[in-house]
Amino acid sequence: MDKYDVAIIGAGPAGMAAAAQASDLGLSTAVLDEQIRAGGQIYRDVDKAAPQRGEILGKDYTDGTRLTKALRQSAVDHIAGAVVWAIEDEFRISYTCEGRGAQILADRILLATGALERPMPIPGWTLPGVMTAGAGQILLKQSGVVARGAVLVGSGPLLYLIAAQMVRAGLPPAAMIETQVRGDTFRALRHLGGAIRGWPYMAKGLKMLAEIKRAKVPRYTGATEISIEGDGKTEAVTFTHKGRRQRIDCETVFLHHGVVPNAQAARSLGVSHGWDAAQSAFVPELDEWGQSDVAGVFIAGDGAGIGGAKVAEHTGRLTVLKIAENAKRLSTQDRNRMAAPLRRALARELAVRPFLDAAYPPYSAALQPTDSTVVCRCEEVTAGSIRGYAKIGCLGPNQTKAFGRAGMGPCQGRYCGLTVTALLADANGQSPDETGYYRIRAPLKPVTLGELAAMNETTQDATE
Amino acid sequence: MQTDYAIIGGGIVGLSVAWGLLQRGRTVTVLDGDDGSFRASRGNFGLVWVQSKGMNQPRYAQWSQQSAKIWAEFANELGENTGQNVPLEQKGGYDLHFSEETLEATVEKYEELKAKLGGDYPYEVLGHNALHKEEPHIGPKVVGAILHYQDGHANPLKLLLALAADVRRMGGKVLNGKTVTDVRQPDGFQISCVDGSTISAGKVVLAAGLGAAGLGPKMGFKAPIRPQRGQVLITEKLPKLINRPSLIARQVDEGGIQIGATNEEVGLDDRVTQPGLSGLAAEAIAAYPALARAQLVRSWGALRILSPDGLPIYQESTVMPGAFLVTCHSGITLAAAHARLLPDWLEGTHAAPDLEVFNEDRFAIS
Repeated sequence: MDKYDVAIIGAGPAGMAAAAQASDLGLSTAVLDEQIRAGGQIYRDVDKAAPQRGEILGKDYTDGTRLTKALRQSAVDHIAGAVVWAIEDEFRISYTCEGRGAQILADRILLATGALERPMPIPGWTLPGVMTAGAGQILLKQSGVVARGAVLVGSGPLLYLIAAQMVRAGLPPAAMIETQVRGDTFRALRHLGGAIRGWPYMAKGLKMLAEIKRAKVPRYTGATEISIEGDGKTEAVTFTHKGRRQRIDCETVFLHHGVVPNAQAARSLGVSHGWDAAQSAFVPELDEWGQSDVAGVFIAGDGAGIGGAKVAEHTGRLTVLKIAENAKRLSTQDRNRMAAPLRRALARELAVRPFLDAAYPPYSAALQPTDSTVVCRCEEVTAGSIRGYAKIGCLGPNQTKAFGRAGMGPCQGRYCGLTVTALLADANGQSPDETGYYRIRAPLKPVTLGELAAMNETTQDATE
Repeated sequence: MQTDYAIIGGGIVGLSVAWGLLQRGRTVTVLDGDDGSFRASRGNFGLVWVQSKGMNQPRYAQWSQQSAKIWAEFANELGENTGQNVPLEQKGGYDLHFSEETLEATVEKYEELKAKLGGDYPYEVLGHNALHKEEPHIGPKVVGAILHYQDGHANPLKLLLALAADVRRMGGKVLNGKTVTDVRQPDGFQISCVDGSTISAGKVVLAAGLGAAGLGPKMGFKAPIRPQRGQVLITEKLPKLINRPSLIARQVDEGGIQIGATNEEVGLDDRVTQPGLSGLAAEAIAAYPALARAQLVRSWGALRILSPDGLPIYQESTVMPGAFLVTCHSGITLAAAHARLLPDWLEGTHAAPDLEVFNEDRFAIS
């Protein structure tokens, strides 16, 4: 079994930057990623798509080739198409690649597993024709497919980015139904100082808004009581805007109200997490170098707390400095010297976050869905059922999982976890920290019994 | 007195006992742990099982049989009371064998037990071909099986849910998120919890699973119990593939195939391991080759609550009369007995079942 100084899970901006730097510092490095090509979600398929669709996707996207190139030119073992389904002590990483189970060993783990779109359980969100805005954008990056007359629902910078990309592709959205309200903007103004320091982001945002306006895409801000309607498939979005009920017919809806750290792997390793009220999500408890409370486990990028692609890149490099010091490849003095410019860059990139978090909070009605709304798609469990289980003694999500199967399906609770915690916290009058989260176990991703059993034979051979 | 009985432990065992006492008109308070507690009630395999139990103690075989016999009626009543159906299937279960030798050796032991039970041990040996007729997906490596007609399986989580709902419906008080630190008996029982609260009760039943190892000695019990890890796998939902359950695999009412279980002495560690999962997967595929293509969607480790001889412990404290220890590793199988028969023992009525062999006298003082 191959053994590395560090194994990096995920080849997005954090993972790619970290891997190249780790290798430069003399660490034997493996990076495992589910996709065939490096890039992560933000730079998905960038090497292939940048030449073809760079104009539509924009410079922030094509910029990713800088990182993919550095990774390619490094001595890093890039294990592509690898679905990691277990990470155990010492560390033994089990993954499936081309239908075969395999393992590597590593002295240290750097989790660069990025973000997940925050689930947006509103009435009708499980109808065919509804997808997350991120999934819609992946289709554009990977296959150049854009939905005609799609309606965008939610809030946040990614929603504007996708709208602008759709405009550039010649298929602008039919409408944008936005959930942020005037009070959010007002609260955000308190963070104006940071916004000004992060002016390049603000300038990009204003440019995207101008593109959307030029294309005459109708925008409904402060929308409430949003519901997707249809008989077996999406037919319309209805909502209340300025006191009036509105209806927009459409076949495709893109939902988005922010992203949250993908903490599945970190949780499976027992890393402590705490509730971050500003980001309305659990984030791992890390020191200033991205080191967790589990020895040898480090986290960088959006999985450490949402900051975006540039922040991910810087934290990836920063964390590797600590790993290199830990592996005695870098003196503490050199580590600190090399960290200084990264920390300055990080501060610049992070300046805008408080403004963005306040200006585009999650849609409150999707954080506490109505009783009849499905919250666990895999097992079709409603918000009302979760509230009912709270009444018969469930204090946390592992108990509701046992009672009602929420979180038992193939997504391993990724799509219902935060909602179930929020529902139970509200029903029991407890904080999200007191309520807790699902116990995450292997398999992090589904694996076949045949693949598992084949590893039994290898394990036995090795001991014979 | 606030409550006739305080039950320490809100799992299947504690709730079954609480349910039985409530049916007799007693007032009951159940003290339950939190979301992260070790909960065998949430991680068990779901068998309502008779065969192979009590090979060295026929009374245990009998006690399991008694419970299995009244299980359906118990489940039906829970279902009617709560509207929460408790799926149960009792059409027999297998002990699958991969070698003639182990099959013959097991049959020999079953015959001995059968004689001690006066012949009430309805089983049949199926060779590979006969088994294949019953189980078309059985693999060629399985040489045969013992089909025991008193065996079956249930949905243990639905049982837990229905019990939790029905205990409340009958007026039982269930306090969640409680960690009991001490039990004293100055005047009735005073049960102190970590959050500073105190519960007063006339009698106490300690049904806290592994928690009894710490609390038991404070109440005059030996409570020589230890954890034993079992890792369990469950696949995606599949069309009907397995007819009857076995200790290796069963198809649950929702369609997934549940595969179990390891027996590991690893202390209070309920994690899963790749070697554990791979070993179970290999055994299940040897029994049912079609499973090789099935996706694993979940796995978990749960901790069995084992006494030195594997049998339940039913003991009234000699130091604190009115305090009872109830613990076993077959809480699902014995749920009906705990709900229907054990209350007579707790209440000391003439109908009390004979549980003499299950007291702590059998454990030497170390």
